[in-house]
Amino acid sequence: MALLVAPLVLFILIVFLGPVLRFLWLSVDNSDVAGNLGRTFAALEGWQASSGLPDEAVFQALIADLADARQKGRDGVLAQLINQRKVGARFLVIKTAKDAADGKFATPPLREAVLAQHAGWGDVSLWTEIRRASGGLTDYYLLNSIDLRRGAAGEIAPAPADRAIFLDALVRTIWISFVVTLLCALLSVPLAQAIVSAPPPWSRVMFALVIFPLWTSLLVRTVIWIIVLQKNGPVNNALLFTGLIDQPLSLIYTRFSLYVAMVQVLLPMMVLSLVSVMRRVPASYMKAALSLGAPWTTAWRRVQLPLIMPGFLSGSAIVFVFALGYYITPTLVGGPGDQMISSYIAFYTNTTLNWGLAAALSVQLLLILIASAVLFWSARAVISRPRQAA
Amino acid sequence: MKPATLRSATMYVYAALLLAFMLVPLLIIVPMSLTSGNALTFPTPGYSLRWYHELIDDPRWLKSFWNSIIIGVSATLLSCALGIPAAIGIAWGEFPGKRLIYAIVATPLVVPVVIVGVAAFFFFAELGLAGQKSAIILTHTALAVPVVLTTVVASLSRFDRTLVRAAQSLGAGTGRIFFKVILPLISPGVVSGAIIAFIISFDEVVVASFLSTGEERTLPRMIFSGVRESVSPAIASVAVLLVVFSAALLGIVGWLQSRATRSHRTRPS
Repeated sequence: MALLVAPLVLFILIVFLGPVLRFLWLSVDNSDVAGNLGRTFAALEGWQASSGLPDEAVFQALIADLADARQKGRDGVLAQLINQRKVGARFLVIKTAKDAADGKFATPPLREAVLAQHAGWGDVSLWTEIRRASGGLTDYYLLNSIDLRRGAAGEIAPAPADRAIFLDALVRTIWISFVVTLLCALLSVPLAQAIVSAPPPWSRVMFALVIFPLWTSLLVRTVIWIIVLQKNGPVNNALLFTGLIDQPLSLIYTRFSLYVAMVQVLLPMMVLSLVSVMRRVPASYMKAALSLGAPWTTAWRRVQLPLIMPGFLSGSAIVFVFALGYYITPTLVGGPGDQMISSYIAFYTNTTLNWGLAAALSVQLLLILIASAVLFWSARAVISRPRQAA
Repeated sequence: MKPATLRSATMYVYAALLLAFMLVPLLIIVPMSLTSGNALTFPTPGYSLRWYHELIDDPRWLKSFWNSIIIGVSATLLSCALGIPAAIGIAWGEFPGKRLIYAIVATPLVVPVVIVGVAAFFFFAELGLAGQKSAIILTHTALAVPVVLTTVVASLSRFDRTLVRAAQSLGAGTGRIFFKVILPLISPGVVSGAIIAFIISFDEVVVASFLSTGEERTLPRMIFSGVRESVSPAIASVAVLLVVFSAALLGIVGWLQSRATRSHRTRPS
């Protein structure tokens, strides 16, 4: 029997889990730098920024390393990685590597020759960054993803304000997911109640209508909101027609449109988990509370609400965790200030090719996801404990 | 009016409004896509099938549709080939680490799809397969296989295992038992799992946006990049067609599942 499962497990490990872990590993992996600048790092041992530019031995090691990297075809990757830490260093590295491989710096002393050709190497801060990039593993990207960096002495310090954008993105992602979850929870309680208490044919029709949007693709439901909320779309035209506004509103590409689209997309999940719990609560409980003289609101709050709380929590968990990882919807209907972590991961992968940072942000996203799942799960366990004991 | 009546009336009115919020956008694009004008507006200046013709006449849309079909069908077949045997093993077998195996197989359901897309991009780029259909097919299979597994495990739980022993005692081999006894009886679960797997692949856009380029673009990928430039009535027409297409397929699943539970309930025991 175990043999029947083996092909699937192998497939998931090779095609899915392996690649995901391999990608997440890029967040700490420094082998492309360490592997290509081995001699330079060895020569830099003991060098301090305060002692000025490195000496002749370091330059010889650097030229040897760069020539090798060029011959192995790794100079582009190396230049890219150094450029991430010291913006503008890319061409310096590539040009120097080309000259080194062409044998332009064959006879020592090299230091002055290199500095004369490529003055960029005279910048002490570049050497500080290179020195900091030694070692097989790096915490550079993980720190970067929470707006921190290593200072001159290796201490952890806040990143400069113009590069500190990730904590904002993190807080925004959690906040948007929280608001969406709250809206879904508040909106779906009366609907779920209506589905449960309606007479049978209506109950089934309403249930089917709630599920129907789940049958259509997420992309299509997102695109539809762009069409509906655009400047001359139906919503603006209806408002103009009724005279409520005299100028079309800009509804799309805002936080408002993002909330509308995400709530519409995720609401069915919340309704489904509430309905499944509500169906198990006998209607006689509410009737008993009412017949004993409790006002309807009190009866609902004291009797119905505690009983449907588990459904509330599991629905919220599903909506929140889904919302955290949303990419398509924020990208298409949100504005520049409404982007969530997923969009940054895609951006750093596609546009700036900063894979270490994309991986570090992915690690961050997965950690929040796991933490919130654990939180909801334990809240649910706490809430359902008294009833299990009874 | 008594307060209770008023309360339930309010509740139903509210339910109707919320359902309208969820469904009207899906419906309103149908008349909008039938516009005879050049832009998406509502109310429309006039009705025509112009933009649907435009879709059929545009080789890029047609090509991407076939790409999606080929990828979807291949991913479905592969998910079934991997998922059905595994479902039998999990439903009937007892072996150590079963929970761990279930957890491993379920990971594609929980990892955010952007991470899946980026990771797959790296993996297949190293293999030199980035931009190939095979890369998308394999990743879509990973995303779809947990669903096939769960639906087939569910239908196996209703399966009477004495039938397998009966077939064995009558001298049938393993292959024959599988194709002649097990498969026909679990086919509703297999078919619904397969349809959902197909739709997962057919509707999937994030992995496709990392892995498909140029000629290999899938239909959702075409919509995604089209929307970022401009929302033309052609996009609305594709959206309508996709809604109708997936709704029809999932209608079949709903029908199969309700039939399966009904026949299970009425079966004498």
